[in-house]
Amino acid sequence: MQLVVFALNKEEYGVDISAVNGILRAKKFTIKSIPGSSKEVDGMINLRGKINYVLNLRAKFGFEYTDRDEESKFIMLNINEGNTGWIVDEVTDIVKIDDTHFQSVPQAIYGINTNYIQGIGQIDDRVIIILNPDSMLTAEDYSVINTHEA
Amino acid sequence: MNNQHLQPARYGSIDVNNIKLTDVIDISFLQKFQDDFAKGVGLASVTVDPDGTPVTKPSSYIRFCANYTHSTDIGDKRCAESHRKGGEEAARTGKPVVYECHAGLIDFAAPIMLEGRLIGTILGGQVLTSAPEEEKYRRIAKEIGVDADEYVEASKEARILSKESIESAANVLFIVANSMSKAAYQQLKLRSVVQTLSDSAHQISATMQELAASASSVSDNQNELNNEIKNVNAVTGKIDEVMDFIKDIADETRLLGLNAAIEAARAGEAGLGFSVVAQEIRNLSSDSKQTVGKIKELTTIIKESVDKTVRMGNGTTATIEQQAAAIEQVTASIEEISSLTELLSDLATQA
Repeated sequence: MQLVVFALNKEEYGVDISAVNGILRAKKFTIKSIPGSSKEVDGMINLRGKINYVLNLRAKFGFEYTDRDEESKFIMLNINEGNTGWIVDEVTDIVKIDDTHFQSVPQAIYGINTNYIQGIGQIDDRVIIILNPDSMLTAEDYSVINTHEA
Repeated sequence: MNNQHLQPARYGSIDVNNIKLTDVIDISFLQKFQDDFAKGVGLASVTVDPDGTPVTKPSSYIRFCANYTHSTDIGDKRCAESHRKGGEEAARTGKPVVYECHAGLIDFAAPIMLEGRLIGTILGGQVLTSAPEEEKYRRIAKEIGVDADEYVEASKEARILSKESIESAANVLFIVANSMSKAAYQQLKLRSVVQTLSDSAHQISATMQELAASASSVSDNQNELNNEIKNVNAVTGKIDEVMDFIKDIADETRLLGLNAAIEAARAGEAGLGFSVVAQEIRNLSSDSKQTVGKIKELTTIIKESVDKTVRMGNGTTATIEQQAAAIEQVTASIEEISSLTELLSDLATQA
């Protein structure tokens, strides 16, 4: 498995590269907020004439809110018909990880609210939390986005 | 420091260390004084320089001397020798001496001294303290080759004065001549000192003007330097702008590398080669970014250095301003001294 590794609140996270459409520099876009959306949804951007939604992973994970800075990136993903992105602090790496270094997380640990963690990757001393893009938004979030689109 | 020019060596054409009688005594005044004195007291008198050469005309010479003793070569020479001896004795003692001349008359010699140096002698006398002895004058007449009868007759014209009177007369001439020359000499010295003072004041004044000019030029230079340094700061700022631009390009390149890697991954086996290129691109951008960071560190050091230089430059400017103020004060003081010197000069010139 190949991972796009990114930094969030000084921790390393990863996402399967096959789910990634591309990476954008956050500072090049203006995010329009969506009224009534949950705090995890930062808003929408206009990418080459198409509306894309961006999720705020800091809000999602309950980290301290910080403004987007010079290095902030959007990781655009193949979910929700390919129009959703994550705001991350920085995209740091692209790595290959074999199955021996991949561990799934026991059901007891992540529970019902944390089913977006696909597993843990280990490369030497680095521990990478691998996220599952499909499980990141709740049905509620989708309903807001879809309502807005409709 | 060469302090030779501080010593009052010369005033005009007069060398105060080698002063002559004519420098300190107005000869026409001396002549009149000598004539009147001679007539009043009944003494002959003449003033000579240290070589024995007369500087005044003889006053009230009696016939005995003028017409007989000086009339032959031998007599004239004996007179000169007699005067020389009297003058020498007077110079040696620094006081008037009364003595008998070669022709048997009573003479005196009063030295005119300045700073312990003889500048002239007032000679006088041609008198007697008692009635002339005929035999003595007949003998002398024979010695110098004049008519003995006429010589004896002429000797009777010599005035008879007491030794005390002769001494007093010599003393009066001595005191007056010495006081006059001393006063004149002091005035000359004062004029010389004042001149030196005035020259020094002018020199200091000129030097101060040069100093003031150079201080102002240093100040101008410093200002130019400060401006030049500020230019360096501006250029450094522009370098930083360029660096920001390069960093942006590096960021963009890195993103390109990341996106290329993503595309390569999607292409599966076919994208393997491309993923190596994508990795290289990311490495390059990372190198560029590090280089930008290093250059920025350097420009920061330059900025700090420039700021420090500007601060030091401002310190220098402040010091120069203080110096300029000090120079102004000194110049004002010198001007005061100059005007005082002029006053002094006026005082010293008033004869």
